[in-house]
Amino acid sequence: MKEKKPKNIFVQGPIAASFIAESIHKHSTQTEIGGHSIFLGQVRADIINGKKVSFIEYTSYEEMALEKMHVIREDIFSKYPLTCMHVYHSLGKIAAGDICLFVFTSSAHRKAAIDACEETVERLKAELPIWGKELFEDDTYQWKENK
Amino acid sequence: MYSSFMAINILFFGQLRDITNNDTLTLNNVPDTDSLMQQLKKSYPSLAGYPYLIAVDKELISSNTTLSDNCTVALLPPYAGG
Repeated sequence: MKEKKPKNIFVQGPIAASFIAESIHKHSTQTEIGGHSIFLGQVRADIINGKKVSFIEYTSYEEMALEKMHVIREDIFSKYPLTCMHVYHSLGKIAAGDICLFVFTSSAHRKAAIDACEETVERLKAELPIWGKELFEDDTYQWKENK
Repeated sequence: MYSSFMAINILFFGQLRDITNNDTLTLNNVPDTDSLMQQLKKSYPSLAGYPYLIAVDKELISSNTTLSDNCTVALLPPYAGG
């Protein structure tokens, strides 16, 4: 039997505030929802050895990442009574201050949405094959490592 | 057409692309992941100093794994998503 194709989570470039607002608005018809939880990851202008990060350039092994995200999604849905979950991650060059990750969970009552959102963020940081090149103002770079 | 050849596709990601100057590579007749890594370390000696995980057809492996024709082996340095 053919499996359902995993949902794409990747967007080229930063995630716009207007896109996030629109996503929230789309849920107004789902009146069984009582709470949303949102995590936004923002590119931080870290100072490393006196040099400031101006962009992070994200790349991924997309096919594998989407399969892994599908597994995470199934696990989270079987653990928490969620109404829905949306995940978006940027690819390409994202400037410091821009949004590169958007995780959005909704449920009838707040706790499930909050806990599911946190667990999804932790798991995707640990399990998705995504890499970030930190580009400094002087055009040098280093590879980001998740702490 | 019949071919006794076994082609293995190799994908490099993140900082490993800096070492190999390549995103992809195809090698023939490599029976398993241990012999593949031996060959790769011969071509790219500095690979030995980097941490990475190995995925065969998108599944992480933790021990020597037999390769089949046209399979894909990916070398994955530490993840940095989010």
